[in-house]
Amino acid sequence: MHRTALLGLLLIGMLGGCVSNVTLKAPTIPEPLLAQIQMSVGVRMPLEFEHYVHEEMVYGHEEWSIDLGRSNAALFEQLFKYMFSSVTVLDPDDDPQLMDLDALIEPSIDAFEFSTPGQSNTEAFAVWIRYRLKVFDSDGNLVSNWPVAAYGKSQTTKMGGSSALQRAAILAMRDAAALMIMKFDNVTRISDLAGGSSAPKSPLLRPKPETTDESEVRTTALEGSSDETG
Amino acid sequence: MNPKYEQPPSKEVLMKQASRVMKLTAFLLLAAIASGCVTSTIVDARTAKTGINEGDTVVIMAKSYHLGNETELKYIRCIEENLARGQEGLTVIPHDEFVDSLFPWFEPRTAPAETKNLAKLMDRPGVADKIAEQGIRYIIWLDGDTDRVAGGGSLSCAVGPGGGGCFGFAWWQNDADYDASVWDLEGLESAGTVSADVTGTSYMPALVIPLPLIARTQSRSCKSLAAQLHKFIVQDETA
Repeated sequence: MHRTALLGLLLIGMLGGCVSNVTLKAPTIPEPLLAQIQMSVGVRMPLEFEHYVHEEMVYGHEEWSIDLGRSNAALFEQLFKYMFSSVTVLDPDDDPQLMDLDALIEPSIDAFEFSTPGQSNTEAFAVWIRYRLKVFDSDGNLVSNWPVAAYGKSQTTKMGGSSALQRAAILAMRDAAALMIMKFDNVTRISDLAGGSSAPKSPLLRPKPETTDESEVRTTALEGSSDETG
Repeated sequence: MNPKYEQPPSKEVLMKQASRVMKLTAFLLLAAIASGCVTSTIVDARTAKTGINEGDTVVIMAKSYHLGNETELKYIRCIEENLARGQEGLTVIPHDEFVDSLFPWFEPRTAPAETKNLAKLMDRPGVADKIAEQGIRYIIWLDGDTDRVAGGGSLSCAVGPGGGGCFGFAWWQNDADYDASVWDLEGLESAGTVSADVTGTSYMPALVIPLPLIARTQSRSCKSLAAQLHKFIVQDETA
């Protein structure tokens, strides 16, 4: 019995050696140089933002488990507090309609991907994160639905692959933050909702002239522009 | 209780130990002296007058990886250290500190790619003040990386119950190709570029023990580029 237990532990140890575990500490976003938008927003984080784990089997190599913890929640909390004059983070049971908010923002994560040096044939880890930001007016109508694609890349160091992957993930989050600071208001027209307006004063995006399908025009308008160049 | 003393080592033992130490020292000395072959070309092209005043600082940045650049972090640090070294060293603001202080305007996505974007950047809230606060006169943008461009030979090692060893010969060639663009924040213009192209070939012959003759290509490139950048900024040839 004793020998079986030892063999079992040895087997678990050997299998454990094939999994690369990376745990990310919540990133700190530096105080940005920006003009704050004077309005009151609510932020409703999805439950997965409190503990997000990405697991992936890299074909022919090893299994990776990347624990982002509450990094995403921390990122959006810090960022929105810098961007807006008043930010309320809602609990799951809170009803935004009963609160004095100009707008409600719902961030979510559509995809998390990464590549290892072995896959890219370089000495770098790369991380792609695709967030989605939904903006609602004070009446609860969806006024913008913006996909934000972010990218981070970090070269392997003497500290090992885990450290490089963590840095790449943090750089991807900073990249997302930079993009949101630059484009958030241009894309979502959220500042038009200040003071409780129920719809943006200006159109979110000019409809494509060649499009005739009414539903397609609406989808385009809601998704907003995703022009990411500086 | 009488103390017990060990007998001093015999003369033969001492001679053997000294001989071992001498052999090891000679081997290490040979390895240190012998290194691979390195050739370097440093070129600069000036487009504007330079110079540095007391209180002026510089910052070293890598061009964005969004644009495909792969300058290594350790190379940036090496240039920072070499530019700051010595009595006449420049005051260098660590790039991480600079990027954080101007967040988000020098992130890989947002950093200006050309000097013509500098004026617009300076108009953004707080940017000009932060740059003035740190006394930043020059931003040096690094572009390039070190690659292995060729290699060959064969080297094999084996270990058995009676010991182990290696046999064969291997070689490889690294190319460190870097450009540094110097932006003058006083005139919001480009002051010119300094380029360093360093090629080094390393060899590893092995007859039981491998003897690596390593060409320190990247390190040579860093020292040469930093020295030339220092001259470029401090010694104004157009003055």
